[in-house]
Amino acid sequence: MRPSISVQTPSSIRLKGSIHARLTAGVAALLVFLAGCGATGGSSPSPTPAPVSTPATTAPATSTATATVAPTVTPVVMATPALTATPEPAAAFPMTVTDDEGTAVEIAQQPERIVSLAPSNTEIVFALGAGERLVAGTDADDYPAEAAALPDAVLQTKVLKEQIAALRPDLILAYGNGFTPPADVTQLRALGYPVLVVYASSLVTAEKDITLIGTALGAPTEAAAILEEVHAQFDAIEAVVPATAPRPRTFYEVGYGPGIYTPSADSAYAEMITLAGGDPITTDASFTISLEALVEADPEVILLGDAAYGVCPDQVAGRDGWQTMTAVKDDAIRPAFDTVVTRPGPRLPLGLASLVRGIHPEVTLPAGIPPDPVLCAAP
Amino acid sequence: MTAGLAPELARVRVRRFEALRRRPVALVVAGLVILAASIGAAVVLGNVSLPLGDTLAVLGHRAFGWPATVTWPSSTETIVLELRLPRALAAAAVGTGLAVAGVTFQGLLRNPLADPYVLGTASGAALGAALAVLIPVQIAVLGLGLINLLAFAGALIAVTLVHQLSGGGRGASMTSVLLTGYAVGSLLAAGLSMAMYLAGANLRQIFFYLLGSFSTASWDQLILGIPIVLIGTVLLTLRARSLNAMLLGDDVARNLGVNVGRERTILLALASLVTAACVSLAGLIGFVGLVVPHVVRLVVGPNARLVLPLSAVYGAAFLVLADLAARMPGELPVGVITAIVGAPFFLVLLRRFRAGYEL
Amino acid sequence: MSGLGLQLRSVCLAYGDREVLRDVSASIQPGERIALVGPNGAGKSSLLRCLTRHASNRRGSIALDGLPLEELSRERLARWVAVVPGEAALPFSMRVEEVVALGRIPHEHPLLGPSDADRTAVQVAMERVGVAGLRGRDCRQLSLGERQLVLLAMAIAQNGRLLILDEPTVHLDLRHQVGVMELLVDLNVRDGVTILAVLHDLGLAAHFFERMLLLDAGQLVADGPPAEVLTPDRIREVYGVDPRFVPTIPAR
Repeated sequence: MRPSISVQTPSSIRLKGSIHARLTAGVAALLVFLAGCGATGGSSPSPTPAPVSTPATTAPATSTATATVAPTVTPVVMATPALTATPEPAAAFPMTVTDDEGTAVEIAQQPERIVSLAPSNTEIVFALGAGERLVAGTDADDYPAEAAALPDAVLQTKVLKEQIAALRPDLILAYGNGFTPPADVTQLRALGYPVLVVYASSLVTAEKDITLIGTALGAPTEAAAILEEVHAQFDAIEAVVPATAPRPRTFYEVGYGPGIYTPSADSAYAEMITLAGGDPITTDASFTISLEALVEADPEVILLGDAAYGVCPDQVAGRDGWQTMTAVKDDAIRPAFDTVVTRPGPRLPLGLASLVRGIHPEVTLPAGIPPDPVLCAAP
Repeated sequence: MTAGLAPELARVRVRRFEALRRRPVALVVAGLVILAASIGAAVVLGNVSLPLGDTLAVLGHRAFGWPATVTWPSSTETIVLELRLPRALAAAAVGTGLAVAGVTFQGLLRNPLADPYVLGTASGAALGAALAVLIPVQIAVLGLGLINLLAFAGALIAVTLVHQLSGGGRGASMTSVLLTGYAVGSLLAAGLSMAMYLAGANLRQIFFYLLGSFSTASWDQLILGIPIVLIGTVLLTLRARSLNAMLLGDDVARNLGVNVGRERTILLALASLVTAACVSLAGLIGFVGLVVPHVVRLVVGPNARLVLPLSAVYGAAFLVLADLAARMPGELPVGVITAIVGAPFFLVLLRRFRAGYEL
Repeated sequence: MSGLGLQLRSVCLAYGDREVLRDVSASIQPGERIALVGPNGAGKSSLLRCLTRHASNRRGSIALDGLPLEELSRERLARWVAVVPGEAALPFSMRVEEVVALGRIPHEHPLLGPSDADRTAVQVAMERVGVAGLRGRDCRQLSLGERQLVLLAMAIAQNGRLLILDEPTVHLDLRHQVGVMELLVDLNVRDGVTILAVLHDLGLAAHFFERMLLLDAGQLVADGPPAEVLTPDRIREVYGVDPRFVPTIPAR
């Protein structure tokens, strides 16, 4: 009976399991790739914490999508006053915040020794201007550049508790939905460390998490500023896609072989694709779609979220049974910058830009948005 | 194997073993020393390097009450007492449990290839763990999470099912028990695959569990785990006579005065309980339950009176060292280490002693 | 130590619809030496299974020294009755001395294990059967005949008052067949052990045993001295062959 258990090879696990791993982009292959091309690291000429330095165009405040991305403070009503509180300059410690799993976490004083267990958390802390308060991050941290130099508290998704204990942290930022193993969260809490579990199941919660971390770090003003900038960038990018433009049926390939993995209907992916002017081809919570269903759905655009893992358009075009798809016939198979599409942090606008490039290559993005890294040689 | 030198060599080595064979007590004492040294190494070493003096001072001060001025940072105490020590003890307990359960299942089923997971324990525990991941409720009883509890229950339910379906207590042949175990295991594995499919993003949790690890060992878990393993080991060792009698089959065992049905049920229950405790502590760890008993038999022969206690001690030391090796480079699955170290070691032994031992 | 008497009354056994023993009754006195013979499928092994309490659905009564079999604990039964199995498969490598030592299980301390007396008994048993020279050998590397001798030594180490043997000579050469028979006679005469042996070799049975039980189709068709049991007519009837007798000198 054991063989049937062990048939779950690490690679298949990676495929299925990496859906949320990708959400936070915690995979080493990506890191290697980014290190190789280095297109993203120095893209921010200004020292401001926000990653996309020049929002440039003054975007119209109202666009079709602003209803989805509420510009005001978190629409999710939380019981704790700490979260719903509008930015107060003087954060009051000790405070109790409620994390995304509903756990009330007490933070005694302003955290000065922070450990981040997910790349998205690392990015948010840096964006809040609190990068120097981080004492450890993950081995997958790749942005900003100085994050990579931090000691690693997470190695290949394994939480190194000895390292964490040795650093005597006063706040640990974990990631939910199993990305940080719940048993580790339990144990770290038992050791007396405040552990905040963050989990962005949607764009709305992604925003909320920036506020949450900002509150916990005693930097609510900075969090509000980030959100304001993110909203401005979202608006600017969405604005370049004309409301009258066709909305191509878009298949975003999360993973391939064995099985085809595509976003579920209620995922942040689907939201992003819609914002980028596409019509997402989605599936249920299993994230898998059959080839039949995919052929039936007939994608007009195929975006390769797995481009960073070596999947290239010409390979996709050569797959058996895929030739009938409009996207293959039209040569509309394009790599996507999966890291920023799926990492719920201040660089989400870059992800949106990457999707717009893939879905509407004809439009011109606002000035100042850096190009995607070279993910795959063009066909 | 080529004729000539090899058998000659084997005979020399076997003779060297002969001396050990006649000194079982010395072997136990040596094992205990090795075990203590292993636990010591596991507390002193880790992926954070601590001053040896601090580590020893923390241990002496907190564990044995030696007077000492606290000069070390609190993190040292956390690492030594809350992370490394419970982890080493968990590895020792699981090593003992798996090795002892392995001896029992091999003897009971009269099958050298049996391991503690052979009667559906693995699939049952894995399915229980998978269900725990799917249930969005956080429960903890006696420091054990839902995943530990359901894995424990799953293992026991699976074995009970196998025992009942095969009529194990009513004189059914052990082959039918083994085959029933295989069938039930396959069925549960299908359930596991289904659960893994449904788990979606939580899949990794299940997968970590299947790989086996001591990384989340805590005192709370040990309070329940260690007594089950230790008491189970002692009770099994006290029934060594029955296991010996069963070496030549059930009929011979009956002729030697053993109530086979009753003894089999007791041994099965004890070994399954121990296995379930191990699985709930650390997930599935292969090779310990298979290799340790065979290596011990190679040295002292099949007498369960010797094999059980020796396997308990050396299994513990082996797993403590394997876990140390697994976490030094940063949390490899411990099963990888047990297989990498265990398999070649075992093969070498088998080749060297083919003249005197075959599986 | 004295031999054990055995009383069988109307013993019946069926596997499903198939009756394998029908109304077998016999009385065996302490210290008797009895050969149980009959063609294949006659029910000899089934009868042995009844005597060792391996058959759960037996009917009729069996008593040892007047005590009903069911009232004896397995431990006591094992100290009284030793059985030489026809064959035993070994899942693990075992030395000859280790196998023989298993015979002491009913006598050794349940927790402390064998005492010096137990070890002596093992040694004596090996010497009596003539396998002491093989003591350190792996049983699985022995010939079938040698293994049979080891199992006999194990049963002798068990030191029972009744020794039951299931075809103890099938794999043995002529010299060892005679050796085993002489050992059985010795155990019987010198130690007073009651012997009940299933034998196929009617010649050996007739030569070394004083009483013979002949089973056919589950029924006891003859019981008495070999010369009375093995009449030409009966052999023709039971075995379906024409016998030719060579006169021999009866043993003792």
